[in-house]
Amino acid sequence: MAGAAAQPHTKSGKKALDAEINLVPFIDLLSCCISFLLITAVWTQIAGLQVASSGGPPEPQQKQEQTVDLKLLLTEKGYQLTMPGAAVEIPKVTSTGGGAAFDRRSLAEKLKTLKASLPDQSAITVQPEDAVAYDDLVSTVDICLGEQLRNVTVAPLN
Amino acid sequence: MAIVEPGKRPGPRIEQSRVFSKKFARGKKSGYAGLMLTSLVDMFTIIVIFLLMNFSANGEVLYMSKDIKLPDAYHGAQLERAPVISVSGDAVTFDGRQVTSTDDLVKGDVLNVPELEDALRDERRRYETIHARDPEHPFRGLVNVQADRKIPFKVIKRIMFACNQSGFGNINFAALAKEGEGPRKVALK
Repeated sequence: MAGAAAQPHTKSGKKALDAEINLVPFIDLLSCCISFLLITAVWTQIAGLQVASSGGPPEPQQKQEQTVDLKLLLTEKGYQLTMPGAAVEIPKVTSTGGGAAFDRRSLAEKLKTLKASLPDQSAITVQPEDAVAYDDLVSTVDICLGEQLRNVTVAPLN
Repeated sequence: MAIVEPGKRPGPRIEQSRVFSKKFARGKKSGYAGLMLTSLVDMFTIIVIFLLMNFSANGEVLYMSKDIKLPDAYHGAQLERAPVISVSGDAVTFDGRQVTSTDDLVKGDVLNVPELEDALRDERRRYETIHARDPEHPFRGLVNVQADRKIPFKVIKRIMFACNQSGFGNINFAALAKEGEGPRKVALK
């Protein structure tokens, strides 16, 4: 039992005021906690990006006003953002590794501008080509979610 | 002459000294040594706090494999427990069981993946049987897709099609959760 062990009487016969706490049970408890937490620790935090596929059931939307049919195409040339009556191309840029990569920063800026003009817009259809890597697809969906376009649908381009 | 134990003996002056006489003291030493436990307890407390801050009640949702390097995501939500489809460069697995090889999905032109669809239908049937009398947990068609970052969309497309065909319409793409403002990987020249 943990407790404070009283110090023995001093030479003068007075009882010492200092008490020594028995730390051993406390150390036992901490050791058990550390063992349990180490065993159950999750070192990699995994995130989930929820998407709907083109053939799946449509997500119920509360507001349909002031929204447009927004599509984001991922081609070998880069991004192509299309909506009725307008299309914006965002070509690939040279990455630090030397290869061509999707210009994610420009896409984020374009989506931010679009969201500012259409605040009720929450749906977007991402259409990648077959050769587009999973990394680029996930990054694109991530950018869409970051710009508050929460209903992301993934559909094949061809 | 008295018989004495061999060894160093202090002179009379040193023997009287309060400081130096202890060096030559021949009394029996106590077997107990006091340990300084305070720093140990401090260290343990810091470790417990650190581990508690990293603690996740959900546990491991995905089977992490060295063949699968997940992409990063900055705006992802927490993954829920659901059947997991893992796509590495070699194989496509469903809840740890290999259902087909990735090469087969890359080569074929048709969309359907019968092996995966069968496994998903079995999983759906199993879930609906278990929760038949549990209206609070209806079948939501939730599935987690975990793929290597280099896997082409052609493979993902076929997997998504198989999920749709089997009634799994809520697809979660797994990614490594990152903190921060957003991706800044591409450097403009």
